[in-house]
Amino acid sequence: MAYTFRGGAHVPEHKNTASIKIRTMPAPKMLSIPLSQHIGAPCTPTIKVGDTVDKYQVIGDFEKGLGCPVHSSVSGKVVSMEEIRNPMGNVVTHIVIENDGEERVFPGIKPYEKSFDEITADDLIDITKRAGISGMGGATFPTHAKISSALGKVDRLIINCAECEPYITANHRLMLEFPDDIIGGVKILLKVFGLRDGDIAIEDNKPDAIKLFREKTAESDIINVKVMKTKYPQGDERQLIYALTGRQIPSGKLPADVGCVVFNAETCAAIYRAFAQGIPLTSRIVTIDGDCIKEPCSVLCKIGTPISHIVEHLGGFAKEPHTVVNGGPMMGAALWDINAPVTKGTSAILVFSKDVYPEFHEEYSCIRCGRCVNSCQMGLMPNYIAMFAGKRDYSLCEKYDVLSCVECGACTYVCPGNVPITQLNRVAKAKIIEKRRNEAAKEAAKNDK
Amino acid sequence: MTSDNKLLSVSPSPHIKHPDNTKSIMLDVLIAMLPALIWSVYVFGWRSLSIVVICVASCIAFEYFYQKLMKKRITAGDLSAAVTGVLLAYNLPVSVPFWVPVIGAFFAIVVVKQLFGGIGKNIMNPALAARVFLFCAWPSILGNDAYFAPFTKMSPLAVSVKGLDTVAGATPLASFKTGGISDYSIFDMFIGRIPGCIGEVSAMLLILGGIYLMVRRVITWHIPLSYIGTVALVSFLFPKVESVHAFEFMAMEVFSGALMLGAIYMATDYATSPVSPKGRIIYGIGCGAITVFIRYFGGYSEGTSFAILIMNLLVWYIDMFTRPKVFGKVKAKKVKEKE
Repeated sequence: MAYTFRGGAHVPEHKNTASIKIRTMPAPKMLSIPLSQHIGAPCTPTIKVGDTVDKYQVIGDFEKGLGCPVHSSVSGKVVSMEEIRNPMGNVVTHIVIENDGEERVFPGIKPYEKSFDEITADDLIDITKRAGISGMGGATFPTHAKISSALGKVDRLIINCAECEPYITANHRLMLEFPDDIIGGVKILLKVFGLRDGDIAIEDNKPDAIKLFREKTAESDIINVKVMKTKYPQGDERQLIYALTGRQIPSGKLPADVGCVVFNAETCAAIYRAFAQGIPLTSRIVTIDGDCIKEPCSVLCKIGTPISHIVEHLGGFAKEPHTVVNGGPMMGAALWDINAPVTKGTSAILVFSKDVYPEFHEEYSCIRCGRCVNSCQMGLMPNYIAMFAGKRDYSLCEKYDVLSCVECGACTYVCPGNVPITQLNRVAKAKIIEKRRNEAAKEAAKNDK
Repeated sequence: MTSDNKLLSVSPSPHIKHPDNTKSIMLDVLIAMLPALIWSVYVFGWRSLSIVVICVASCIAFEYFYQKLMKKRITAGDLSAAVTGVLLAYNLPVSVPFWVPVIGAFFAIVVVKQLFGGIGKNIMNPALAARVFLFCAWPSILGNDAYFAPFTKMSPLAVSVKGLDTVAGATPLASFKTGGISDYSIFDMFIGRIPGCIGEVSAMLLILGGIYLMVRRVITWHIPLSYIGTVALVSFLFPKVESVHAFEFMAMEVFSGALMLGAIYMATDYATSPVSPKGRIIYGIGCGAITVFIRYFGGYSEGTSFAILIMNLLVWYIDMFTRPKVFGKVKAKKVKEKE
């Protein structure tokens, strides 16, 4: 019996690249590395324009608060620093590096000084902070902050290999080609959290990965392979934890509050590499797919590689691109520039032509079929929330728990009336949060007087 | 950064959509109702097809002209007006003069549907509201005398068939009303060899269409099953006619009248039924209870139309009452209390 949750949607899987080996992308001539690839404050540059940088050298760092350093993926020269709007709409400084092709590794990159048996929680926080690791499933929360906030609170470690978004096979290929990195990462995490065993959660549409991991972990009983039902959004950590443990994360709380900690498979592998080889997070696996791509596959590429560079290496465009999505088709953000770089959170790049991209109309009508209500795993009534949001009655949206919406897009996917439910919910959430912030500011001003 | 910059379309996620849309759903409903139409042509002759064509054509026309007049987006082609037209025709006896369905279509589309804001916004099922309107306005045309025995020959093209030499046939429910028992067997009722409205007579073919709709996931089992189940249970426990076994009476109640048509095709109308499974069951039970109540104690022999219309008006409250539990919400309160 596969583990599952209530609600959700059956989206077409489109795992076209599941059986294709990862292709390593050659380093491009020019890289553009954003100084903010994580949740938290952007880094400040530690180099100047004109400096020569080594591969794996820190080029951006933070001093206090929530942050995550950024490293150079190649050796070369810092050409410029550009202010570019990223897919989330924020203006971020991008450091443009001209690759000299020498692959000159920064001195001091070596395996961690302590052995596996000696490693402590503080050591792991230090390793992940120095290696600039942030969650690679898309949310990009700095891993060192996650570890330190979860220490002493958790009794379950879950490695998220569900990969429920259509098209994406990056984690699937990682599991098949680098299983030992993931297992190595799990062992470190188990030791640090003081747990006896951990779960690897894989959706049942990846039987080869399930089989491989069962074989790999047959000897010891510290890793349990958990088979999840293939359903969107199974990879959402709230649903993953609920399916495996029956625990519900209260709204606005973290997995650690219900005693769980969840790591993405690739994050887990990155932790292992940072420990065993000292390599910071400067490359990742990205699935390149969509009907415009001539040779879809998952690629191993350096952070900062322009997407156009990867597309060229895969034979260019088969069709005129209409929309380029950074991430999966359900939650990914559309890009306005095909030269945008791959970042730590880029799990996929999907290029769709006009032929397959759905048409959204300005006018729409809810026919009240109730499919959105059945698909909402958060237990909301998306049809009503969208109706209230459409009338700009945001206080009613709040009453109907729009703030619990995770914007997974399942309701909008199933809607036959073409209602942009997720989009309306986003606006409502933003308006409510803005209003709360204004009220808090007013309150603070009053108290000052 | 090489390569020329082409303009890309940027829109928020999700970037894929389920292929189902309003039109495909309505098409499925039309397909599901087709067997009943073929059957009615077999039982009542080509005149039933004429009525259906008039209803559908006038519904689509009224929707088109209203939207044109009001300068709204034209949605007359989305087949929802066609579904209303077919349902309206299915609720009329085959003997109605041709002007009756046209007035019914006007009432359904303009008064009940468009004046309330169009598709999804109407608070009552348009076809049913129109049927009740016609029924109250012209009781002599749509009353018990309007029904004829199966296989009565009627002109498919004559505007009115009144005064023709035809044999009136009491519907099974009309017989129950007078305390008697129908001449028709349960089997006749099941396959549809009984007097009645155009689309309601064959329980068998209506159930077949209902199964199709469930397989295609257009409707869920909640409303039809809770509705028919309630009617069956009440009529089994409290049979009105004592000359037959309670079980037989239950079968007659379930297979006669507009129950199948109402429970499968009209109570499940999206716009006027609750959105959550729990709400749908409550709604179905309510429909069933009111139907039996009217059949037993009301002034009319059939209660399906009124039952569904009354429950239509309660949908908002049912929805509010059956809001699903928000994931993680209850615990959030507890956590706050702890803090």
